[in-house]
Amino acid sequence: MNATYWAIDLRRTLRDITNIFFIAGLPLIMYLVFGSAQSYRDEPVAHGNVGSVVMISMAVYGAVTATTSISGGAALERFQGWGRQLGLTPWSSTGFVITKSAVAMTVAAVPVLSVGLVGALTGAEATPLAWVLALAAAWIGSAVFAGYGLTAGMAFRSESALGVAGGSLVLFALAGNLFIPLSGTALELARFTPLYGINALARFPLTGGVVTESVTDPLWLPLLNVTAWALILGTTATVLVRRRRGRD
Amino acid sequence: MVIHRSTRPRDPGRVGAVIDTDAPAPALEFHDLTQTFTRPRAETVHALRGIDLRIDPGEVVALLGPNGAGKTTALDIALGLTEPTGGRARAFGAVPRQAVADGRIAAVLQTGGLLSDLTVEETVRAIAALYRDPLSVGEVLDRAGIATIGRRKVSRCSGGEQQRLRFALALLPDPDLLILDEPTAAMDVGTRREFWSTMHAEATSGSTVLFATHHLEEAEAFADRIVLMARGRIVADGPVEAIRAMATGTRVTAVWTPGPGEPAPHDLPGVTAVERTPTRVILTSTDSDATAGALLRGTAARDLTISPRSLDDAFVALTAAPDTTAPDTTDPDTTDPDQEAAR
Repeated sequence: MNATYWAIDLRRTLRDITNIFFIAGLPLIMYLVFGSAQSYRDEPVAHGNVGSVVMISMAVYGAVTATTSISGGAALERFQGWGRQLGLTPWSSTGFVITKSAVAMTVAAVPVLSVGLVGALTGAEATPLAWVLALAAAWIGSAVFAGYGLTAGMAFRSESALGVAGGSLVLFALAGNLFIPLSGTALELARFTPLYGINALARFPLTGGVVTESVTDPLWLPLLNVTAWALILGTTATVLVRRRRGRD
Repeated sequence: MVIHRSTRPRDPGRVGAVIDTDAPAPALEFHDLTQTFTRPRAETVHALRGIDLRIDPGEVVALLGPNGAGKTTALDIALGLTEPTGGRARAFGAVPRQAVADGRIAAVLQTGGLLSDLTVEETVRAIAALYRDPLSVGEVLDRAGIATIGRRKVSRCSGGEQQRLRFALALLPDPDLLILDEPTAAMDVGTRREFWSTMHAEATSGSTVLFATHHLEEAEAFADRIVLMARGRIVADGPVEAIRAMATGTRVTAVWTPGPGEPAPHDLPGVTAVERTPTRVILTSTDSDATAGALLRGTAARDLTISPRSLDDAFVALTAAPDTTAPDTTDPDTTDPDQEAAR
């Protein structure tokens, strides 16, 4: 971990207005529109209200957008010659990976904290413990999608591929029960999608696992989903990085 | 340490593997270096076919050759960015990767290698942070001549300014050997001249410089020694004057078809090489007066012209010589994995 490099790279990322809009602005707006402004906001759930459930899903969406775009950008940087520049310094590639991960997780904290703060001010309610656990799960869970961004960056090696990867998160969010409450077969299928686990895990402290009136997830289910996707995305990314390295 | 601002003594024990303690280790040493790229569904490319090279501290050496000669491959090995298929590379007695990590070698890369959305100053600070004991950011910006554009985004810098930025990055570790890979490839003539005048200031202060170029005039103007590469081999190596001497001689051209009773072109006094066009004979001669005299007196040759042979001619002659082994079908300089990946 190199603090100076982290600070400069972080500032560079935060200056990218387009990127920051999708990471922090969009989740905030969606929370305000689909959470705070709705009549169902104040309906209670186990340890909070519906407003807090919408809030946490938007935080998850913002955080995975951050980890996807930053890890994908890191892969592109290596291709576009910056990797060669770094290769001329004493810095190890491990140092790069650790520092870049720290940048990604710092940026992922921005939507989590900002949506959390705005939520607290605009009617999202939860017990303090549930509040903290939910936001922490959204933040930590988003790390899984670093593997997704790396895979996209390594496999397609272009800015537009990263745009597609970022855009596809909207579809994963719809399919993963983040934006619209799913039920029946759609919900059964949703459980296999990559964002379902992180979202369900982050909601768990608030809802106690209740998904719909008739469906309740046991804790192992989102845990299993997150673990499986962490392995799938992590392995794919590692294989692509290795293959790339073998070619150098 | 010979570069002028040597404020810190270089600890000789920094590089662990120095073998000979009496004589200083060469700045760079290649022994029978080979590099072969094998790709699925593509022909094997022999980028380097056995390179021996020794560069001593204080030398300014130009690695000259046409595209595809293997220059970039050789420099990548010197920088520890690529492992050779065969042979041995050492820098200051250590493996290149170690010498790079110790800050004894630094390089200005050909293209890319910068993040367009950082400012000039941020770029230097970010890379400086990765070294144990770098020169100050202000000093390298100053020496590279970009102190006034520190706050400018890299994307808004001209090609020449970006190259100066790469140069500033290379100065950070206060290197003993500076390697430049076609540093002026993307510059116009004016910017190129400015860049070399900056480099001149560095080189006259005694540092070791190895630069690749396919511009003959750059090699001639800036280097003490030229290493000429073609098709993965070193075809000539020596002081600039010696390389030029290989080229000296004069061209004597005449409209002439040797008839019976006339001497063969090769047998004329001073002639070292003969080329033919349908009507003309082009002779390379070490003594143009004698050659021309013999032509005029003893043959039917007419329309004689005598012109000095340029270094360009020597360059073309040396690098275009037919190869004894299988010809390369692919250009090694363009099979760089990064460039290929960027497509």
